[in-house]
Amino acid sequence: MKHTAKICFQLLLPLFITTGCWNLKEPDQLAFVAGNGLDLTQDGKLEASALLVTPSGIGGGQISGGEKKESFHVMNTTGKNVSDALANMQSMISRVVFAGHRDIFLVGQKLAEKGIGDTIDPFMRNAQSDMRAMIYVVKNGRPQDVFSSEPFFDPFITTTLSEEQEAIGLKPYLAREFVVDVLSDATQPLLPAVSLNPSKQYSYSGSAILDKDDGVKLVGFLDKKESNYALWITNRITSFTLTTYVPEGGGDISLTIDTVGRRIRVKQIDEMIQIDVHLTGEGAIIENNTNLDPSNRKDLLLIQEKISQKTQKSIQQLVKKVQKEYKMDIFGFGESVHQQYPLQWKTMKHNWPKTFPTLHVSVKVDLQCRDSGLANSSLNRR
Amino acid sequence: MGRVGESDVANKQNSNISQTTGNVNRNIGSSIIENEKTFKSMFQHSSDIMYREITIHDQTKLLLIYVDGMVNTDIIVSNILEPLMYKGLPQGLGAVESVIEMFEQERFSVLQTKKVSNIEEISEHILKGNLAILVDGEQFALLADVKKIETRSISDSAIEPALRGSRESFTENLRTNTTMMRRILATPKLKIESLKIGDLTKTDVAVVYIEGIVSPPVLNEVLKRLKGIQTNGILESGIIEQYIEEAQFSPFPQILNSERPDVVAASLLEGRVAILTNGTPFSLIVPMTFWSGLQAPDDYHQRFLFVAMIRWVRYIFTILSVFLPSIYIALTNFHPEMVPPELMLNIAALRERAPFPTVIEVLLMEFMFEGLQEAGLRLPKQIGPLVSIVGALVIGEAAVSAGIISAPVVIVVATGGIASFIIPRYSFSFPLRMLRFPLIILSGILGLFGIAIGISTILIHLLHLQSFGTPYLSPVAPLNKRGLKDVLLRWPQKMVKKEEDQI
Repeated sequence: MKHTAKICFQLLLPLFITTGCWNLKEPDQLAFVAGNGLDLTQDGKLEASALLVTPSGIGGGQISGGEKKESFHVMNTTGKNVSDALANMQSMISRVVFAGHRDIFLVGQKLAEKGIGDTIDPFMRNAQSDMRAMIYVVKNGRPQDVFSSEPFFDPFITTTLSEEQEAIGLKPYLAREFVVDVLSDATQPLLPAVSLNPSKQYSYSGSAILDKDDGVKLVGFLDKKESNYALWITNRITSFTLTTYVPEGGGDISLTIDTVGRRIRVKQIDEMIQIDVHLTGEGAIIENNTNLDPSNRKDLLLIQEKISQKTQKSIQQLVKKVQKEYKMDIFGFGESVHQQYPLQWKTMKHNWPKTFPTLHVSVKVDLQCRDSGLANSSLNRR
Repeated sequence: MGRVGESDVANKQNSNISQTTGNVNRNIGSSIIENEKTFKSMFQHSSDIMYREITIHDQTKLLLIYVDGMVNTDIIVSNILEPLMYKGLPQGLGAVESVIEMFEQERFSVLQTKKVSNIEEISEHILKGNLAILVDGEQFALLADVKKIETRSISDSAIEPALRGSRESFTENLRTNTTMMRRILATPKLKIESLKIGDLTKTDVAVVYIEGIVSPPVLNEVLKRLKGIQTNGILESGIIEQYIEEAQFSPFPQILNSERPDVVAASLLEGRVAILTNGTPFSLIVPMTFWSGLQAPDDYHQRFLFVAMIRWVRYIFTILSVFLPSIYIALTNFHPEMVPPELMLNIAALRERAPFPTVIEVLLMEFMFEGLQEAGLRLPKQIGPLVSIVGALVIGEAAVSAGIISAPVVIVVATGGIASFIIPRYSFSFPLRMLRFPLIILSGILGLFGIAIGISTILIHLLHLQSFGTPYLSPVAPLNKRGLKDVLLRWPQKMVKKEEDQI
């Protein structure tokens, strides 16, 4: 028995040694991809771009002599499909492309208008793909332009983009959420968009509406303010600042809302679906240019009422615009109907894209000012 | 005193008459001259054996034999020689008629006396520091306990320091050590059974336990195994340990050693058995469990919340010390997607100029680290600091800046090394240091899968291991909820019910 075990062990031992390092890859054999982009070239060919990190460029404390290298390198290749383009890219570099740390996935506007349903598949399917990566649509631009830009905080743009959403008070829209939205019954994906801002930097600039029922095609863009409202309804925002003109005080008031709530109620009246959206927010007045005194209860109630009304109006306009202009259920009302009227939904869901624009949606906003600030009223009131 | 130097000459003449081996199990004769010859031939070439002949009243001849340096000469002079030579026969209670009678009744003011006839036994007593008095015409030797052996004084424990608790540690003298045990546990239930092990060293070994708390099967097993030891010499308790442990090929020690009387006393109260050995301050404690290897001497002297935290720090560091280098290899070489992106890029940047594969780097540094540790241990104290300077400077700093070793590897190896220092029982850090190497190789071949194989192998081995019938991982496996409190938290003293033996 012992003898047999010995022989088995001796036979197994060379197997371990001679088969070499199985899937061992030293970090210096890998090309780390920080971001991938897809777009169409002028003549309509599929173009993949990648931001490859140059490890020796980001240093790490032991750089000795020689000039500092660029911290990244952008590559573009074309191909028949995505895999072909990526294979072409691999054939041009000396290290194995490793996408496990991909933070950002960019879709050029041109490709988005044509639809990304087919092209994005290999990225989502790849086992190396990090489903916590973020997807952006590049508004008025090409992915490689975004990648080539030099941000001022980070060594390369992908880190900036992946941290930006959280910094401005949004819940990051990750690749897995995109997949969930696309595969859902009713909700249409609302992707964050990136574009060149006036200070010549690429940054978040609102959202892009996609139509998942038609090849995940770009339908239109919402600006930052509209996006905030839309994300408030879909519960994807944690804090934002509202600046509203209050006619009674003759000036603007800014409110930073950091406690956000929403409730969507679905009512069925005579076969008609009615949706009540109730949005709540609590926050602090951070700027008061009016002659109202927030420490005075009467004035405070007035301020709250005015801001709520104004916001309510804007959101109603937004909902209407989305219903009429884009006809895309980006607010997830369909899901609410599904949850609250599961039986009726079964018949309704097939016709939902047509039902959505005709829905009667009422929006109610309740804002509360918690802290009125130390200087009770605007200084120049006196 | 004595006839120093002459003994050698006398012995040479007598060496062919009787041989040492011939004396075994023989009784001494009545002729003092014959007896002297016998002993001189037995102790030939031994300049430290002293012979002193006395003649009283021109008739009674006495011969005193002792080992110079092991006896208290003051007692010999004042309690034995003076009464015999000047003061005459004792005239106190019950006068004696003759010197012979005085011997027969053992009338000497010495604490312990004994009459022995067997030559072998007499010689053994002489060698242990007793005085043998032979009387002409009597077939026995009177042995008087006048031992006075130079020993090291009781000092701080060097190997097991504790912030709080007794400063005493055992010495090389068994009697001093058993005294310390008696002082702590002043109960007649404390039993100290004595054994002699080793054909030549005849080392005194004491088995200490508390009657009523100790589990009889463990005690019997200890005694049985101790009695079964067949060897020439026991120089240290470590030799006994190797003779009585169960799995010799296991990297894990199955017997705890301690040089602190308070630790031994605490173990006895838990129902364990301690084995004290003459000649070494290290006592053995059985049975041992995995968790007792991770307990510090003052765990029970500090307040429980702090100890609970420190224990967890210890557990985590124990895991780190074994697995950190292999996990580093597996993550960077096989599963880079599991490392946070910024960290991975940093590691990649630092590895950019490294000439060796990560596995080789780690093995090299681990090897150097083990070498440094051994060098620091063996060097004379005066050059000790040099090792740390050379180690820190050359291996840490220079190797990195020369680009031979990448910086993260130094961090990983150093952290693993420090983690192995946190283990309170020094002997328990050996298996952890050893197991690092196979794990590094496994993870270098198979990545996390290899580590998983390593962990399973170690766990299976630990589950299989027993120390004197006690499962090594108890009370965790097999599960004993009451005992678990002491492993996970160290329950507050008041809440621990009296006398719960976890063994």
